[in-house]
Order: sequence, then C-alpha cells, then structure tokens
Amino acid sequence: MTLHQAGSLKMVFPNTHRRHMNAVLINTAGGITGGDRFDIRAQADAGASLTLTTQASEKAYRAQIGEIAQLTTTLTIENDARLNWLPQEMILFNHCALHRRLMINMTQSARLLMVEPLIFGRTAMGERLTDCIFRDRITVTRDRRPIYLDGMDLSGDAAARLARPAIANGAGAMASLLFVAPEASAKLSQIRAMLPITAGASMIAEDILVMRLLAADGYEMRRSLIPVLDYLSQSTLPLSWRL
Amino acid sequence: MDMAAPIPTAMGPPPMICDALTLAQWLSPSFPVGAFAYSHGLETAIQDKRIRTPKDLEDWLVDILLQGSGRNDCILLRMAYACDHPADLEHVDATARAFAPSAERLRETHLQGTAFSKTVRAVWPGEQPDLCYPVAIGYAARRMGLDLSLTAALYLQAIIGNLVSAAIRLVPLGQTDGQAVLAALTPLCRDIAAQTEGKTQDDMHSMAFLSDIAAMTHETLPHRIFRS
Repeated sequence: MTLHQAGSLKMVFPNTHRRHMNAVLINTAGGITGGDRFDIRAQADAGASLTLTTQASEKAYRAQIGEIAQLTTTLTIENDARLNWLPQEMILFNHCALHRRLMINMTQSARLLMVEPLIFGRTAMGERLTDCIFRDRITVTRDRRPIYLDGMDLSGDAAARLARPAIANGAGAMASLLFVAPEASAKLSQIRAMLPITAGASMIAEDILVMRLLAADGYEMRRSLIPVLDYLSQSTLPLSWRL
Repeated sequence: MDMAAPIPTAMGPPPMICDALTLAQWLSPSFPVGAFAYSHGLETAIQDKRIRTPKDLEDWLVDILLQGSGRNDCILLRMAYACDHPADLEHVDATARAFAPSAERLRETHLQGTAFSKTVRAVWPGEQPDLCYPVAIGYAARRMGLDLSLTAALYLQAIIGNLVSAAIRLVPLGQTDGQAVLAALTPLCRDIAAQTEGKTQDDMHSMAFLSDIAAMTHETLPHRIFRS
C-alpha cells in the first residue's frame, strides 16, 4: 500500500496480531469547520483485508456564514478483498456547514462492511440543530453499477424536520449500515434480534444487507450498534469503538 | 389566402385533455399494477398505533412526499422522461433500485413497474421495457408525448391515493376522512411535481427514516394483509 498524508489528517496503524490491517484516521485539528477540505482515499488490493476507523468522533463545528466544508471519501475494494469502513460518529453542531460524500467502488467478489453514525447536535447539552447545512451522499457501486445509494439534506431547521413522525420522531442519533458479502442473508435474522424497535434491517439483494437505526442519543446508538458491528466484523471491531 | 381561424369543435379536444385522459387510465386503481397490495410500510405504523387519526395519516404521508419516495419517484420519473437512449434508461432504473430502502419496497416498485409495462406494451404497441414503477411511467409518458409536469403531479396523487385507501382498510378511518386527507395533500403533490423540475439523482435523498424502517420491519409482522 502507499500512504500519502497532508494537513491535519493523519493515519496510524496500530499493531495487530492478525493478518488483517487496521488503520485509524486522526484529525489533528479536532474537528471540521467551514472552508475545510478533507479528501480521504483508500484501497484494499486484491485479497487484502482492511479496517478503517477514526480515533474519535468527528465534529462538524459552527461555520462562518458562506463557508461550507467538504469531506470526500473514496474507497476501492478489489477482487476477494474485504474492507470495513467503520468511522465513529459525526457530531453535527448547530450552525455547522458540511457537504459530505462517500464513494465506494467494489468488484463482484469484494466484501464490504460500512457504517455511518450521525449525531444531531450535542444532545447532552440540549443543543438542537435549528440552523445548519448538512448534505450527505453515499454511492456504492459494484462493477460500476450502483448497488446502494443514500442521500440526506438537513439544511435549515433540521431539528423541526427530525421531529416529524415518519422521519426521526425526535431521535438524536442515526446510523446507516451496509453489509455486502455472500453470507449476508444468513446474518439477517440474528441482526434483527439485536435491534430496538426504532431500527430495521433488510436484504435489498441476495448478498446486500441494509440497516437503519435511530436512537435517542449517541450512547443509545452505540449500545445497539456495537453488538451488530462485533457480529458482522467477526469481533475485529477496533478498540476505539468500545463504549 | 387567409387561414381560417380554428374552430375548436372541429379540432378535437386540446392536447392536455388527451394527456389527462391517458394518465387517468394509467394511474386509475383499475389499471392492473396491483397497487392495492402495497402499503409502503403503513401497515406496520398502523399496527404500532403510530397512525390512529386522519391527522396522523396526513403527517406521515407529508413526510413520504417531501422527504422520501414521493419526491424521489418524481425525480426518477423526470429522469426517465429525459432519456434519449435505452442505456440511459437502464442507469435510471439501476438508480431507482439502489435507492430502494428494503426488500419489500424494492419489490413494490419493481413488480408494479413490470405489470404497468406489460399492459402498456399490449395496449399501446411499442418498446416499453420492464422498469421500476416511476421509471416505467416516465418512459411511457415520453414515448406517448404526454405532458411531463402533468404526469408527475398525477403520479404523486395516485400513489398517495393508493396509500390513503390502504390506510382506510387498516384503521378506523372513514371513506370521507380518507378523501379529506387526499384533498389536503393535493397541493403538495402539485408543488413537489413542479419543484423537482431539473433535479437529478444527486438531488435525491432518503430521509423518511421511520417510514423506511416501518417497511423493513413489515417483513416480520406476524399478521399482515399487505405485501409491503
């Protein structure tokens, strides 16, 4: 593999005793604010096994008016490779401004476990997202065909929208999960048994499992998410993910 | 020689009326797409007592229209209408499938679209591939030269009308209540149809999270009468 890093984004590789490689992304600036540009690229070569996570939760801070931060992640998974994209929570502060894009390109025999946890405001201090800009887009393609597309636009009074009955009913945190592997359908019933009533899982193709989870706050989200991630990553969940 | 002024009675009805009549046929509950079999996750929300009153139903449907599949379907319909080549159409259909949030929601859009195309092929001969429902409608409308904005607005009203009748079958809600909800949502159908003009797949978003989760958990409901 090759490593190129610049600016406030670093990557470290904790020693592990498995054939599996772990990489931890560290944002030494401590968060994201308006005008920032982050560009993350990683590739799991044929046959490789790679887990990417972040050292801590990421924070989208209050931005100056007119400035929008850009965070773009591009991941490639080659034949017979496995990639776990397991960043910790993105915490949206009120008045944040962020456009985020995650693109994952994989081949037919590649495997993927992806999670994107999101926290809507610093709920512990009672913050509500009354005015923010957050656009998010996830595109996963396999042999160039889209297999999973997701998008969000929480611009404006996000709290009012998240309070709506068919949106989040006031939930403070949300996670999206995608698992692409031949054994995915065999995992569905076990995952369903782990989920609270504010979550669901389903197969959108024979080998593609999707899950959406809403929770009152970040703590409740982790409590539901960690057992699922442990199960799907075969207990290789990075230490930084522990409660 | 001066052209005589057109005499409306001799010219046949204006094109918009012909378009409306074709669309009324395609989107009528009697057009055999099996729409009555799908609740889009409503059955779960009703069993969980999250939808009990006409107001609850209206709020739920507003979210689907503005933040979920209503708006997304409208964008897909418009993208399909704009396709000049079958290869572009395949891309729109793949986009529709990749945005489906659950197995049953994928089947709902896929099976209705396939049934729609089958009938259209038989009645209006010509190329009409099997596509997801909004993609199939958008492509058929383009092929027949129907007005796009009218197609989008009537499509939205039809899917909401179908969900209202699903709710009437599931909750203690009267026919009149249902029609009042549909009438209240009709301006929104009109607005979303207009606002999605010029939008592309980059503008699609799936934020009706609890509607999507209801569709996922519908798969394991012990007692259910709908297929989604």
